[in-house]
Amino acid sequence: MRATTFSILLVLGACGTTLPSPELVSARAAYQEAKDSPAKDLIPDKLLEAKQALDVAESKFGDDKNSSEAKTYAYIAERRARGVISVANLVVAQKEVEQSEKDYKALLESSVKHTRDRLGKTEKSLEKTRTELSAQEKELQAKNTTLQQKDVELTKEKAARADAEERLKAAMKSLEEIAKVKEDSRGTIITLSGAVLFKTNESTLLPIAESQLRKVAEALNAYDAGRTIVVAGHTDSVGSAVTNQKLSLARAESVRAYLVTSGVAPDRIRAVGKGKDEPIAENTTSEGRANNRRVEIIVEGAPPKPH
Amino acid sequence: MRLILPLLLATALGCGGSKPPTYQLSQAQASIRAAEEVGAEGTPQAALHLKMAKDSERSAQSMISGEDQYEEANLALKRAQADAELAIALTKEAKARAEADEAKAKIAKLKTEME
Repeated sequence: MRATTFSILLVLGACGTTLPSPELVSARAAYQEAKDSPAKDLIPDKLLEAKQALDVAESKFGDDKNSSEAKTYAYIAERRARGVISVANLVVAQKEVEQSEKDYKALLESSVKHTRDRLGKTEKSLEKTRTELSAQEKELQAKNTTLQQKDVELTKEKAARADAEERLKAAMKSLEEIAKVKEDSRGTIITLSGAVLFKTNESTLLPIAESQLRKVAEALNAYDAGRTIVVAGHTDSVGSAVTNQKLSLARAESVRAYLVTSGVAPDRIRAVGKGKDEPIAENTTSEGRANNRRVEIIVEGAPPKPH
Repeated sequence: MRLILPLLLATALGCGGSKPPTYQLSQAQASIRAAEEVGAEGTPQAALHLKMAKDSERSAQSMISGEDQYEEANLALKRAQADAELAIALTKEAKARAEADEAKAKIAKLKTEME
């Protein structure tokens, strides 16, 4: 390219058959480059200055082609043309910077928008989760309240039961001091000796019996209220069956009556007379007969489990 | 600067027939300084032309102190100025090009960060 330019410029620039100086050739080539560069569109006035410098150089060459002056002005024209190319490149670079700044800003904005959108979505999702969580918490609280209530109830029940058991134990303990207590298929049997309760052949309670029966009443009330009570009077085999029947019933009723006044519910307790029909000992000995002369208080139903 | 006094004297006394190129000298020196200040030494092409400018200026000075060849000195100084000015233009171009490349690199970096 340079060789061709060189020869073209030799031909174009030559006045007659004069060969241009190397400096002038360089100046012409530089100006041609400047003309072909972006300078033509971006900085036409500067390009014109370069052209003018070249014209001066051409003119000086025409005046005296070998002079230092001609060489110098060609030198200057070349530098000027190269300067114009350089300025054009600078302008191009500046425009690129401007455009890059615009592009950067746009990119940043789209990035910000993108991030905002994602943030918006995340916030919505978070809100939804919060609502769900809130509902769950309410549910949980309600369950918790119910649980607490049940717990309170349970504690009360336990306390009540413990209390009842304690009372029963206490009552049983005090009862065992004055009576025989056993359990069999009929239920819990409290056996009181007839001699302690009554005078011989009488059905009126002895005063000493009253305090004992009060203890029995306490014990009876410690049992589950659903269990019915039978007061059964028994005699020994001495005397007729009829007399013994009447006596045993009368005694049973006395005991029953006193128990009721001591606080046992009347609809729970009944009196029966068994006469001599159910001895628990041999009637042949006085000891045996004494044992047979008794009142049994039967608390019907399943015996309470002893602790 | 040290040449100004003898030059002024020479001008006043009218030695050598023609005048010493005092104005051209100060112009060339100013341009050379400007090229140095803008950092021409840092750009290879610009540094070359700065050197050429300094060489021309130095040879002009020795011609002037020799009190002859004022015309030659003048031409040398014109050449010095032309080289200094080109050095300045080339330096500015290189800086602008570097800025443009940096701006492009910034965008490329942002793009990769966004992915």
